[in-house]
Formats: sequence, C-alpha cells, structure tokens
Amino acid sequence: MKTYKQDGFEIIVKNNPKTPRACISCYFSIDNAAKYAGVNSLIARLLVRGTNKRTAEELTLELQNNGIELSSEARQDYLKAETVFLNQDFDLAKEILHDVLENSTFLETSKEIFKLKGEITANLDSSVAKVSDKFTRTLFEGHPYGNTVTKTLEEADFITADILKDFYKIILKSKKVLVAVGSFEDEEKVLNILKNEFLFLQNHEPKGDIKDFKVIEEDKTVKIIKNSANQAHILQGWLVGTADSEDYAKLVVMNNLLGSSGLSSRLFYELRDKQGLAYTVRSSYEVLRHAGILSFYIGTSPKNINKSLDGFKTEIIKLRDNLPTEEELQGAKENVLGRLAYFSQTNEQQANMMARDLIFNRGTDYREKYVQMINSVTRKDLSDMAGKYLTGKSLIAVIAPEEYLDF
Amino acid sequence: MKRELIDYPYLEKPVSLYKLDNGHTVIIAYKKGEMANVSSWVKTGSINENDKNNGVSHFLEHLMFKGTHKYKAGEFDRILERKGAIINAATWKDYTFYYVTIEGKYIDLAIKMHSDMMIDPVLPKEEIGPEFDPNGKAPDDKRERYVVIEEIKMGEDNDWGKVYHLTNNLMYEKHPYKRKVIGTADIISRISQEKIMDYYKTFYTPDNISTIVVGEFKDEEEILNKIIENFKFQYNKTAPVIKNEPELIMKVPKYEEKTSETSTGYVMFGFLTDVPKNLKETIALSLLTGILGGSRTSRLNSKLIENVDKPHYNAIDTCYYQFREGNNFFIEANFDPDYKEQVIKEIKEELKGLNKITEDELKRAKKRTLVEFVENAETVSDIAEEIGHYYTVCGDLSYVKQYETTLDEITKEYLEEVASKYLDGDRCAIGVVMPKEEA
Repeated sequence: MKTYKQDGFEIIVKNNPKTPRACISCYFSIDNAAKYAGVNSLIARLLVRGTNKRTAEELTLELQNNGIELSSEARQDYLKAETVFLNQDFDLAKEILHDVLENSTFLETSKEIFKLKGEITANLDSSVAKVSDKFTRTLFEGHPYGNTVTKTLEEADFITADILKDFYKIILKSKKVLVAVGSFEDEEKVLNILKNEFLFLQNHEPKGDIKDFKVIEEDKTVKIIKNSANQAHILQGWLVGTADSEDYAKLVVMNNLLGSSGLSSRLFYELRDKQGLAYTVRSSYEVLRHAGILSFYIGTSPKNINKSLDGFKTEIIKLRDNLPTEEELQGAKENVLGRLAYFSQTNEQQANMMARDLIFNRGTDYREKYVQMINSVTRKDLSDMAGKYLTGKSLIAVIAPEEYLDF
Repeated sequence: MKRELIDYPYLEKPVSLYKLDNGHTVIIAYKKGEMANVSSWVKTGSINENDKNNGVSHFLEHLMFKGTHKYKAGEFDRILERKGAIINAATWKDYTFYYVTIEGKYIDLAIKMHSDMMIDPVLPKEEIGPEFDPNGKAPDDKRERYVVIEEIKMGEDNDWGKVYHLTNNLMYEKHPYKRKVIGTADIISRISQEKIMDYYKTFYTPDNISTIVVGEFKDEEEILNKIIENFKFQYNKTAPVIKNEPELIMKVPKYEEKTSETSTGYVMFGFLTDVPKNLKETIALSLLTGILGGSRTSRLNSKLIENVDKPHYNAIDTCYYQFREGNNFFIEANFDPDYKEQVIKEIKEELKGLNKITEDELKRAKKRTLVEFVENAETVSDIAEEIGHYYTVCGDLSYVKQYETTLDEITKEYLEEVASKYLDGDRCAIGVVMPKEEA
C-alpha cells in the first residue's frame, strides 16, 4: 500500500493482484450546513450530469461504451464520487473522474429538482421510508442532519444552480481522500499518476459550522396515520456516542448482541422467534461525525405496538441488569469482525472502507486498531452501555392505522 | 460418481461438478480470499405447489432453521453467527436455497451444520405454532406461523410488490407460476406439520439438491469428501417430476387496475417468453432489457425522463426473470397518476420502436453483459449464486461456458426478431395500481 498526504488531500493506492475490476473512490468531507435541504443530494446528482468537456449524454455514452461505472452520493458527513472499471480502462476512468470533479456544469438544476421531488414522493409511498424520515427529522430538528427528504420537498424549489456551485466550491476546499484499489503491480507509479491527475484537489481551507448533537431533551413519540397499512412500523432511538467516543467499540458490540447479528440477536430471538411478532426486527447503530444514534426497528401487526415497545424495554433492562455470558460476548465480537471481512471482499468495498476511515480521521491502520478495540470489550461494558444510553430519553416514531395510534 | 470440469469466466481454476451415485450434485469452485460459502439449492419452490398448499416451500424454508435431532432450534444460527457467518435462505418459483458465508477457516463447521440442517430437520410443532382460523381469534402462542403471516402482510403493504403480483397473476392461465411464492395467510395459518414434513420428504431428495462450495481450498477432494460424509440422506431418493402445461406467449391483452393508499401510480407490463435453455433468445432478451431500461441512456429513461423538462415518470425500468418453464420480461414504471393513459400509450410506442435497434445500442448492451460477468465473480456468495442459478434454472452449468460465444453471435437483426416475437404491447399483461380517491 502506498500513501500520499498534502494540504488536506490524501491518496491511498492498494494492489490486489489478479482482480479484474478496480475502483477509485473520492470522498469530500462536508463540514458546513447548506442553506436548504437537498443541496448536497443535488450536487451529487448533478456532478455526473455533464461537464465543460462532455454533455450529460456524451458522458453516459462514453461510460457505457467502455463498461465503466461512475456514481456519486451525498451522505450527512461526506460527498463521494466513485468509478469502478476493468483494469485496462484505468486511464480513461481516472480522467473521467477528474473531469466530473473539476468541470461539472450543474446545468439543468431545475429539471433535476423536479425529478428529485418526484422520486421522493414515490419513495414516501413506503411506510418504512415515511416513518424513518419522521424519526430523523424530529430527532435532529434545527440541525443539518434533520434535512430529510420531506424537508427537501419543502425547500428544493428555492435551490438554484448558483447555490449548488457555491456550496460545491466550499466542499472542494474541505478535507479530501482518494483511494484506488485494484490490480496495480506498481503501486508507486499509480500513486504518482493519481497525484498529478488530481492535483487540483490539493487546496485546504478547513472551517466548519456543524455542531455536535448529543442530547434528546425529553421522551417523545411521533405518530403518522396510514389507515390502509397492514403493518405498523416502529422506530425507537437514543443518542449515543460517536466513533470518537470511548464507548464506540462497546456500542458496536452491544448493537450486535441486541439486534444486528442476523438471525440470533436477542431482539430477533425474543420478539420474532419466541413471540412471532414480526418478520423484521433489528437494531442499528448509525455513526455520524456529530452524533451517534442507536435505534430499534420492528414491522408488526398494528395491535402489537405496545407489546413490541414493551419487548424493546425488556431487552434493555435485561442487558442492563444481567451481564451477558462470556460465550455471548465472544460471539458478538466474532460476528462484528466476521461481517467486517464479509463486507471487505471486493476492491470497491475495500476502497470505500479505507476512504471512510480517512475522511473521519481514523488513519490508514484503523482496521487493526478496530479489531483490538472490539476484542477489548468486556461483559460489564455491555451492561454499562445499556444503562448509560438506552434507559435515557428516547424518540419513538410509529406509522399505523389511526385506531391503533392511541397508546 | 462422475466429475466434469467447467471453465468459468474470471475464476482462476475450472469449476468441478460431481454427480454422486445417489444423484446429489456437488459443485466446487476455487476463489482466493478470506471468505468461503456453502449453499444447497433444492429444485422446488412454488412451481411444485397447488391451491391447497401454496406457500409451503417458503414456510418450510423458515422451519428448516428450527432445529435437527443434533441441534435445537436457534443453535444453527447462534453457533454460526458467533463465528461471524452470514446465514440465510430464499425461496423462489423454481428453487429454494440455503447458504452460509463464513471465513474460510470455519468451512468444516459450516459444512457440518449446513448439511445437518438440510438432511435432518425436525420441524417441531412448538416452533411452528398451533393451526388456527385466520378469521377467528389469533392464538396466544404465535411462533413461526405468525412470522410468515407478518411477512405476507409486509408484502401486501409494498406497492411495487402489489403491482408485480397483479401483473404476474394476469400473465398466466393455469401454470403454477401464477401463484405468489409466499402463499396466503389462509393457507399458512392452517397447514399442518405433517403436510409440511411430507412436502420436505418428497422434494428434498438427493437427486433434487445441488450443494455448492466456493472458497480458497488447498485440497478440493477433502471438501468433496466432507460433503459426501455429511450428506447422509435418510428419506426418499428421487423427487417426482411434475409436468405443467407450458405457457410461453400471451395470446390476448389483459389489463387490471387496483387502488392503494399511495400518492403515485404504478404500472407493470408483463411478457411471457421462452425457457432459459433457449440460450440465444434468453441472452437476446437480456440485452433488450438493457437497451430499453436500466441506465440513463436506455430508451425508456432517455426519452421519457432524461430528455423531458418535467417528466411524468418518477422511475422506469425493465427486468428479466429466468424461470425453468419460461422466462418473464417486465417493464415497470412509477408515475404521476394524472398521466396514466399517456404512460401506457408511451410505453407501447417504445415497444413498437424495438423494430429498429442500432449497432451502438447492441455494442453497449453486450459490453454491459460482459462486465456483469466480472462483477458476479467478485465475491464467494455472488459466485455461488450464479452457479446455483445456472445449474438449477438452466439445468446445465455448461451454459456459462457457451454464454460468451452465443453473445458474440447476436446481431441487431436477431434482437429485432426476438422483440417482435415476444414484446408486443398489445399481447401482454398490464397491471396498474393507482391512488385511492379521497372520500
């Protein structure tokens, strides 16, 4: 592996011999709040819709004629642009990635807004999408993380091409990471090629205005009526530590044990296998730069809303008051690490994992550190985490027919 | 025992296919890396069901995880997941498959537990839960029967699922593909443990199962011997061959519309096409899927979304499902409900336009297909799924080998011919889901 770091721009090149497809992934830190919800999503969409050199159609045709994938995506903390290609197309793929990052025109902003709004409206036909949006928007009210799709529907029409271009300029000056993983016999040579190609990214003016979000002031329940729904969808969440927190690894292992290990987690076993309440029940730990959210989700018969919420509570209290067995703890750790291996099989997965580690300032050796951190978690840590975070203030969001929402 | 070696695109070594004396097929593929995958594909799904037991294949899939004589319910999940495994199963029209993806160092454990689950399920009544009348009072003890009913309800709330089932039902007259794989709450609530076990004994026979192992193995023979040692089938040796009347091309147009609590409209055009064994036509239809949908430059996307200022479509795409007794081609769209008539007309127009394919379109579609081969050889689970699909649905793994040469032979004229044979907007099923009118 070869690395380069200068003026807020880092490059990593990793050789995985005899792999036919390579990936170059470029991440930009988002450190500032956009004026309107939807700005980051629109930047991501328009980045790959034409440049000064190539119209949107020419760009797409060139990619398809060569079997090159190019995509971009905006998440709460970063913007990402990525290309995946056959090894022989390295030169063209890196040139196209350069072109879109430096020369995108952001033409047809109003058309893209129209399309985005249509896609959001269609997506909100789904109960799960609706309840997730309500949950996130309520939890992060007043914070950029609360810029959900429904807020985008309300604010998107205020967005202009100039607003997008100006905000992209700010993003371009943030911290940037470029990771290339593929069958690169001469890593040093590839590193030098990428350094020259992406020299324009070497500019750094670190400043950010997004604040940490750490407290839910009071227990809150928000309800959405959907009278035709066969199932109720329930989300209950707590604010917990982020990846910088000393609790991070403990929270990862606790989340696994409670509800993210697959078919044998506690929530799955107790609420699905033993009580038959749901097909889907799980916990998630979403780690953002300024907030950590641990949440439980269940899709169940509307008449089981109370039973499900009681089931969540029972599992929290059980973990808080009783240390898990050593076998269960070791199992959760192995599951966390096994999943890490599972999701690091392709060059694309590896490039993204490394880029995320760097953009969140975790360093190039984070994987080894992470394994150590996970392995050092104790039984008591898990009970402590349940007591510290999951018995505190929470937000519950439920979608169900009106007659079942009186709880 | 017979062994056949098959050159498989983008794998370092040929894939070994063993046909054991008891009829059990074992396929071993070498893939360098930390992970390994073991899966078994059973050639049964809703194709072998009837109106009385519809959903039994899928229900059985759930119950296979409920313990054996060696391991109680939950132990399979617990033991393997505590080694970091990803385990699951899926049921479709032609097959049901079970898999474990795990670090290669645990492959022996994975084979041991997976084989035990496949050959010795107990299907305990206490895990299934009592039979009940779905229109009466629900039992207190809900268990797995209720989990499946919740899964059915989940599907009923999904609008894409709704329009798919509506269209699929219209496409067939009598063929078992007409039914939903998941079945109905009415059947699942009443089906007995004995009937489910009978179904297991009938179809989970050695000649009806292929076991696939993918990973970085030093000694292939050792893996093969472990499979042979662990798969000691104890019930029937052969599965019955059920003959269904093929339904390969729709003769008349069919249309059905339903309403739902949505704010957008959903439409699906469904076409019946030939069997996967007709490899050239199957590949041609797969290329037509890419020409019509799937990317920004595809015809439907570029004409109806990308090159329109205010499109009335939120999404439009194509998909192509391969089934042993006849494939399905679909066009699906989500749209502004004020434009329903126009949407149907526009899609029909685009279908008519398939009488003229350009060389550039053909070239792009072929390139995409070749890249997909590379993509599908990147992880042990993708490789296992590709092999499982080819062997179970096409019935012959050598199709993989023939794929690239057959792809080369396809011309634009041939694509036009196949499109005109199958993709006629006036000889297909059209399902529509529209928003309920406000009271």
